[in-house]
Formats: sequence, structure tokens, C-alpha cells
Amino acid sequence: MVKLNKLTYLDYNATVPVLDEVKFAVMECMNIGPLNASSVHAFGRKGKNILESSRENIASIINANSEDIVFTSSATEATNLLFSNFDNILVSSIEHLAVLSSSKSNDFIRVNKYGVIDLNYLEDLLKKISADKKNILVSVMWVNNETGVIQPIDDVLEISRKYGCLVHCDAAQALGKIKIDLKKIDLDFMTLSGHKIGAPAGIGALVIKNNIHLNAHILGGGQEKGLRAGTENLIGICGFGKAASLLSEATYESCDKIKFLRDYLTNKIKLLSPETVFFGEDVNRVNNTILIALPNLPGDLVSMKLDLEAFYVSSGSACSSGKISNSHVLQAMGFKNLSSNGIRISLPPNVNMLGAENLITTNELDRFALCWANM
Amino acid sequence: MINKKIIIEDMDLKGSPSNHRIVVAMSGGVDSSVTAAILVEAGFDVIGLTMQLYDHGQALKKKGACCAGSDINDARLVASQLDIPHYVLNYENLFKDKVIEDFADSYLRGETPIPCIRCNQTVKFTDMVERAKQLGASAMATGHYIRRRIFLGYPNLFKGLDETKDQSYFLFATTKKQLEFLRFPLGSLTKEETRMVARRHGLNVAEKPDSQDICFVPEGKYADVVRKLRPGNIECGNIIDVEGKVLGQHNGIIDYTIGQRKGLGIGGRKGIEDDNTALYVIGLDSKKHNVTVGPKELLACNKINISECNWIIDDPKKTKFNVLVKLRNSSTPVSGVINVNIDNGTSELNFDEPQYGISTGQAAVFYNIEEHSHVLGGGWIVDAPNMFSQL
Repeated sequence: MVKLNKLTYLDYNATVPVLDEVKFAVMECMNIGPLNASSVHAFGRKGKNILESSRENIASIINANSEDIVFTSSATEATNLLFSNFDNILVSSIEHLAVLSSSKSNDFIRVNKYGVIDLNYLEDLLKKISADKKNILVSVMWVNNETGVIQPIDDVLEISRKYGCLVHCDAAQALGKIKIDLKKIDLDFMTLSGHKIGAPAGIGALVIKNNIHLNAHILGGGQEKGLRAGTENLIGICGFGKAASLLSEATYESCDKIKFLRDYLTNKIKLLSPETVFFGEDVNRVNNTILIALPNLPGDLVSMKLDLEAFYVSSGSACSSGKISNSHVLQAMGFKNLSSNGIRISLPPNVNMLGAENLITTNELDRFALCWANM
Repeated sequence: MINKKIIIEDMDLKGSPSNHRIVVAMSGGVDSSVTAAILVEAGFDVIGLTMQLYDHGQALKKKGACCAGSDINDARLVASQLDIPHYVLNYENLFKDKVIEDFADSYLRGETPIPCIRCNQTVKFTDMVERAKQLGASAMATGHYIRRRIFLGYPNLFKGLDETKDQSYFLFATTKKQLEFLRFPLGSLTKEETRMVARRHGLNVAEKPDSQDICFVPEGKYADVVRKLRPGNIECGNIIDVEGKVLGQHNGIIDYTIGQRKGLGIGGRKGIEDDNTALYVIGLDSKKHNVTVGPKELLACNKINISECNWIIDDPKKTKFNVLVKLRNSSTPVSGVINVNIDNGTSELNFDEPQYGISTGQAAVFYNIEEHSHVLGGGWIVDAPNMFSQL
């Protein structure tokens, strides 16, 4: 891992640095030669081998079958591919923009003040909608990217099944942070992103369970069982497969170390800056994420000041232009006045990603808490 | 070539440049980009800030277009070329409340507003300056062609050395307090020199054309913007002559400006525009929705009333004195006698010679009668009675 002198990267939910093992694997893949998995010659077979072994690696960490996995350029593309097959999509109010924007939904499943989806509301909504609409897709994220709150996805599934709906889960933030077992939770669709677990950006996947037939929205040479045409991005796929293979039972157990760092920072901030508001603290959430706000300071200012002190965090939802808008997640949670004040600190999801040199230690967190208190 | 020592002196900050953080208001144009470049070169700790003022995709009615225009991307690219931190300030709501709404209302009143000055006054030099201070800056620099010089112990404003590029008209509302914090490193450069510096730094905006229009008005079609903002508030009416005879109809007084001669919408006058019978807009009645046209003589105006006066010099000791006044950005200053009421911020200005085609809503900017480049202050023209209005 690159040693970033004096820089403290605390934005792992945005993207994870490419892991060393992944870099080696990708380099090896690029050194093989010209790789097109559709070619009928030896290089084609080598390419196909990388493609399918990566698919198996990913299937195995989510306990799915490898034929259920379709590679796309991103979780966003995977979501768009899926949603183009449905007219009635019900999403929660705290979904990522990839889901919110492509769902074209007008009804949103509410969340409570802790950022947990309101299951009664979901049931009422389904009762109402399912009376005159068929083929409804319910889409709820597993882990929210801003708060880190884990959604009761098994309950969502149970309720949705009662009304004959199919269920999609955006698991981009869940992968690598919590155990995903699709044999236990029988979701119909799931979307995944490579760069959230240490693969390069530019590779994602749609998981399609239960042999459900979908139509493609990119047409061409019939790659990925006709669902996603275009020569496979074998370099990205190789990286995604390698990063997935590094996730294991031990990874999730090692998350305790991350939890220790998170709680350490939380306590330090509470001690030095008692006015700080913490969000989603009292509910089930992943170990690496903290969402906080200072009541009188807008988040864009705080993130600028932190950047100038070489602490890299996120605020609200940033447009590709760099413009920061209010957080729709905090708004949905009822924090209207604080919705432009939120600052997300996200630690490495697990010890693998903490890096051999343990780039983030209590020293860095001490400095951060001090800087925060002096805002 | 730019002399580093002069730049540093001109910044009027004590001690080494490296001890001073300077925020540069970067629009994505060549001027503010070069401002950042020369300050980086002079050794200052430079941060670029860019204001996002309106949803670009919406303004162009392009579905799915990014909210940011290419200018913001240019600013980001220049900042990365210069290797300086750069942030985008989301001022969409602020800009709508303080500039765009005022712009629409002003047109409905029959005025010709200048939103760029309102923006400097209410967004750039207030909220952005505040943000610069919060980021620990010693000063905020912009790419305006205007000079800041210490005069009688205080910072004063002087026209840009390149008179053709001078932007003092747009900066009259700068307060003394703001001026303490503001810097204009391009004040002594010509546009060509600015582009030379940009080329030397290899900036991608070196050959970018100057912006001509009001930023949120695509293709200069300001009336379309007003119609979109105030649907149902724009009434059709008559185009009449001085005697009240109806010559034609119009779709709203917002399409007209006092002194306008072309495109009046009364047919059959093409080809005789330059003779003595040419007709000008001489009156806009926002209540009866009449546009009155008449001969040039009736545009003659001997005095104007000015409100919200801002004095950049020390508040005038005398209440009555001679000044030069600029009545629109493109016009040459004319002389007159100003009568100042310091208490309520108004002034009355009597011209030495009658002036033609003055619109309310424009700015009147005062310059020293002896030192023509010295900006004294200015205000908004609220009343410009011409011969017609006194008939």
C-alpha cells in the first residue's frame, strides 16, 4: 500500500485504495498477452479462465452460484440494467443516487430517525400498490453509505414476498463489511461494486438469482449471457475476483479491530467536542462508518478545512463537479436543519484493507479529534 | 513579463508570501485562472474557490446534463494544473434569492438591471469573502481589471490600467471593509499580457473567449428567462407615440429598454432608421403596460436620482461637488454636479450636458474629476426623468 505521508484517508466508503495483492494479480493478467475471452485461440481460453475463476471467487463469498453473476462496468450500471426491466419499483428514501435516480419512483419507503427502514410503512405501501399493480420490484440497500446502518433486509424480503414482489438489494457498501449469504437470504437481485473492496473502479456485478429472465439494455456481441454486451473488462474482472478472494470468515472477525478504532475516535470526539451530533449510533451498523455533524458549521466548510489539514472525508452528496448538496439521507431521517452539516468518516472496512503498515492508528485519530474540536 | 516583486508589493501583505493564504475566486475563465497562477508563482499559499450559482443543465433545458457548466470544470482543471486545493461553493439558493429574483422584478418594473453587480454585492463579496476568512485566508483575489491602491492611508479603487478592459463600473458597490480584504492582481495588465501568462503556464483556458452574456441567461435572451421566472406576470400592451396614438402591439415591456431604437416591432420603418424621424423607446409604463416611442430629443435627461450610494473614498465632506459619472459600462464618463445626502444614501446628479437614453436599474459610478481613474463610489439609478416624462 502507498505510504501517504501525513495524509489521513478516512473516506473508504467512497473508494478503497487498490490492494497490493490485487495490483500483482492485475499486473500478471496484463502480462499474459492479448486477452479477449471470446477468442477461439489459446489467449481466448486464458481469458475465459480468468473470467470464470473471478466469477467463482465472487459467487463463493456471497454463497451464490457463479452462473448468477453478470459483470458490468459498475454497480450503477448493474442497477440500471435491472431497473430497465421493471415499471414499478419501490425504493427506500435513503438509497444511493444510482438507485434513486434510475428507479423513477415517486413512493419512497420511509426510515426512522436512526436511518432504519420503517417496515410497517413498507407493508402499508405494498398493500396499497399491489392492489392494482403487478410485477413490483422492491429495492432496499443492505448498508447505507452515509450512516453505515445495516437494514433489516431479511424482513424486507419476507414482507415483499407476502405481496408477490421481487426484491433487489444494493450491497455495494455491505460487501467486505458484513457476511452476505444468499442461501440464507434468498434475494432475487443484488448489485456489487469492485472498488469498494480494493479492486480498481470500473467493475461491478449484477447477481440474478432464481433463473429470472431479464432483457439487456446494452446490445452487441452477446457477452455475459447476452445481458451485457461488450468485450469483458478482464483486467477489472481479474482485480474484482482477486479482491473477493481476499475476503474470508477471518476478515469479518478481524473487523473488531476496526470497531476498536471507530469507538476510540467516537469517544475522543465526544470528549473534546461535546456539541457534536452522532447519527445512527444506537442501531445495528457496520464497524467502519461514523456520521457526525457540528450544529453551526456547514459540512462543505468542515470538509474543506479538514482537507487543508490533510484529513480526507466526505460531506453530503457531491456532484461530479465538486458541488456539495444537502444529504438526502439526513433529510429522510428527519434532520432537516443538519442535512448540510454531515461529515462522514469511513475507516477501512476490514483489517486486510488497513494495510500492512497500519496506516490508521490511534495517533492519527487523536490528531483528527483535536482538529475537529478546533473547527 | 510579470515582475514577482511588484506582484508581492501589490498584494499589500506584511511578511513572506508563504505565510499568507490567498483565496482566489476562480470562475473558470482566463482572468481568474491567471490570477491564481501568478499568486502561486509569487509564493503565496493559494486556494481556489468556484461558485456554483445555478443549475446549468436546467438553464439550458438539457435533460440529464450536469448541474455544473464547463466553466466549473475548467476551474477545477486549472487548479489541478497549478496543484492548488480547489472547492466548489454551492450558492444556487443564495443566488436565486438575491440575484435572479431581483433581476426578474427589476425588468417587470421597466428597468434594465445589472445582475453581475448584485452578485458581487450580495454573493461574491459577502458570502464568498466570509468563506475565505473561515478558511484562514489573509485576502481574497479576483481576476477583475481594476487597481487597488493605498490613498490617504486607505485602500482605494482605480480603473484598470487597460481602459478597454476596466471593470470598475461593476465594482462600485465594494465597501471599504470588503476592500481591505480584496486584491486585484490583474489591475495593471492588459488582456493580451494575461493570455501570455496563461500560455506560459500552459493553462488550458489561455485562448478561451471572454464571457459576453449574463451567466444564467443563455444566448443573451434575458426576456425568455424573465418569462420563465414570472409566468403570467408579463402583460401585452400597446406601442404608442407621444400623442397616445397606437402604432402597434408588444408582448411585454420586458422586451424593451429606454433608448432602444432597433427591433421595436412597429413595421415599415426599416431603412430610415438613421434619419431625423428615427423612433426611440422613450417611456416604459409598468402599470398601463405601454411602450412609448418618440424622437431622440425627448430622451434628453438633465438629472438623475441615485439610491444605495456606496462611497469607496472617505465619506464626502462636501455635499455638493463636481464628478465624472459613468451611466453604463460601455459609455464614456460625463461631467456633472453631485448633491450628496449621506444620511439616507441617496444623491442627485445634475449633468453639465443633457444625456440620452438613461435607464433606471443601471448603475451610476462616480470618478474623480481631476484624477479620472480614481473611483469615488456609485449607486443605482432610481429615477432618470427625460423630456418625455416632463411633457
